Amino acid sequence: MKNSGQVKYRRSMLSRFGFNFYDIFVYAFCILFALVCVYPMWYVFVASITPYDEYIKGGLMLWPRGVDFQYYISIFNTRSFLNSLWISVSKTVLATVLSVLVTSTMAYAVSKSHVRGMKVINALVVFNLFFTGGLIPQYILYQDLHLLRSYWVMVIPGALNITYFIIMRNYFTYSVPKDLEEAARLDGCTDVGVFFKIVLPVSRPMVAAVTLFIAVINWNDYYNYMMFISNKTNLQPFAWILRRMLTDKSLMNTVRNGAVGLGLELPPPMALRMATIICAMLPIMCVYPFLQKHFTSGITLGAVKE
Amino acid sequence: MPRQAAVRPAGKPSWLRRLAVYLRKYWFIYMLVLPGLICMIVFNYGTMYGIQLAFKDYSPRLGVWGSPWVGLEHFREMLADPSFIRAFKNTVLINVYKLAFGFTFNILLALLVNEMKMRRVKSMVQTCVYLPYFLSWVIFAGLVQVFLEYPSAADMGGVVNQVIAGLGFEPIDFLKEPAMFRSILTITNIIKTAGYSAIVYFAAIAGIDPTLYESAAIDGANRKDMMLHITLPRILPSVAVMLILELSGLFISNFDQVYNLYSNYVLSTGDVLSTYIYRIGLGGGTDFELSTAVNLVLNVMGLVIVLVANKFIEKLDVQGIF
Repeated sequence: MKNSGQVKYRRSMLSRFGFNFYDIFVYAFCILFALVCVYPMWYVFVASITPYDEYIKGGLMLWPRGVDFQYYISIFNTRSFLNSLWISVSKTVLATVLSVLVTSTMAYAVSKSHVRGMKVINALVVFNLFFTGGLIPQYILYQDLHLLRSYWVMVIPGALNITYFIIMRNYFTYSVPKDLEEAARLDGCTDVGVFFKIVLPVSRPMVAAVTLFIAVINWNDYYNYMMFISNKTNLQPFAWILRRMLTDKSLMNTVRNGAVGLGLELPPPMALRMATIICAMLPIMCVYPFLQKHFTSGITLGAVKE
Repeated sequence: MPRQAAVRPAGKPSWLRRLAVYLRKYWFIYMLVLPGLICMIVFNYGTMYGIQLAFKDYSPRLGVWGSPWVGLEHFREMLADPSFIRAFKNTVLINVYKLAFGFTFNILLALLVNEMKMRRVKSMVQTCVYLPYFLSWVIFAGLVQVFLEYPSAADMGGVVNQVIAGLGFEPIDFLKEPAMFRSILTITNIIKTAGYSAIVYFAAIAGIDPTLYESAAIDGANRKDMMLHITLPRILPSVAVMLILELSGLFISNFDQVYNLYSNYVLSTGDVLSTYIYRIGLGGGTDFELSTAVNLVLNVMGLVIVLVANKFIEKLDVQGIF
């Protein structure tokens, strides 16, 4: 009995050995890469709440050695931070709502390719993915439209999002059941009725997902500010504040001196940067579970044709 | 004779009338398309008239239309500009790096993640690797700085430099080292986008017929064999499409990434076409015409490549870009 058990055990060890080696490699590789992806964020989070005395000891910060929000207090004691948060939140909301409305309605209309003109419009939109005027023509256009140095340059021009136009168009074309629409039409529904009673309810999850994606893009956007507003500090979005914290010594000095004025220890620049990074990341982390849920279906939607 | 047009046989209404009937039938669809159409015409096609600056000598006083034509002068200027040549070379090189390392890494990641049989671990790994895609390059540049920063009087430097110093070596100022800049771009790009890029392959793997694996198992194939002889060949069409798409972006540079990571120290290896267009146009320089000309050349090249690429993709019997 004992003997046969041992033989069995040994054989399974042997037959598993190749397997195991392979498995170890697979798991080690994947887990290692996953750690490379998230450890920097974890490190920044832990370091940004570590009290000064512990912070200056350095190390890998695998776990918080005490909690102290002094760096957050320092940055939010600086006027431009709160203002930029407000700018970011408001422009994200406005730009996202506008963009989703314009893009989704257009995508739905263009998905009705039997209606005359829609194929041309579709071609015109997609062409823009590959050919644009570029930075300077954009600058001159905004100048002519009096959008330069205005808050609205961060909201209006991006109203039509071409990438999500294509994704939504494909969704409306291939994933909204045609029979459902037909049945509603037979029951006497007009185009309006079909849109509001059938298409919108059916595609609500998709529209919700696209809304989140576009909101993240808008939250992260600093490009429009940098290119077309650039010197109006009362309009800078939070992403730009972060950019300045990384590169602009004068803002950094303002924040550090402000911290001393509050009676805090003179904070190391990197700690303040980390606190700013966490603030810029926070909204994205909050919606990330939802983003991820729709992520896999969302981007492959564009490629799946039934 | 000239009035004959107005006299029509009954039942054949004029085109205007037919148009009215058609519009009334589909008014709702046309109404839905209108806001987007206006946006597109104003903000996307509206920029097109500015392209003429590439052929003009711009003076703000005369405006875009009033400025005098100078023919191809700015294009000659472009070819004579050593920083343009440098930016062009850097762009292509960086893209080749990303293709050689990033592209293969994405496939490897997709295959290996798919090999994990513990569902919990697999979904945890997926959650982790998708995450960086949603962070902006500004945030990412911040993370890079946190890890690679050179020690200064006010600060102890980045984690990597702390480790290097702990091991008794001289700290390295990674972000100011021209020789390292392209590698930093390639690696950060992999970390940020590998998970996202792997999704396309996950979808392709999910579409493979499971009976293939069952019969292979009966024939005594182990999992490595199955990966190499079933999974890999089955996702090759997706790989080909991604490769063509990647190749068609050979001259496209990631402004967001480079702008947030580079500095004057690494211009020699790090300056790419998009940052070049920005620097000579708005970021310091005021050469509107040259900036527009370079952008025009890139756009035309890009468009040609994409059209050719789309032909290839259609040949592969997968849905094209359009």
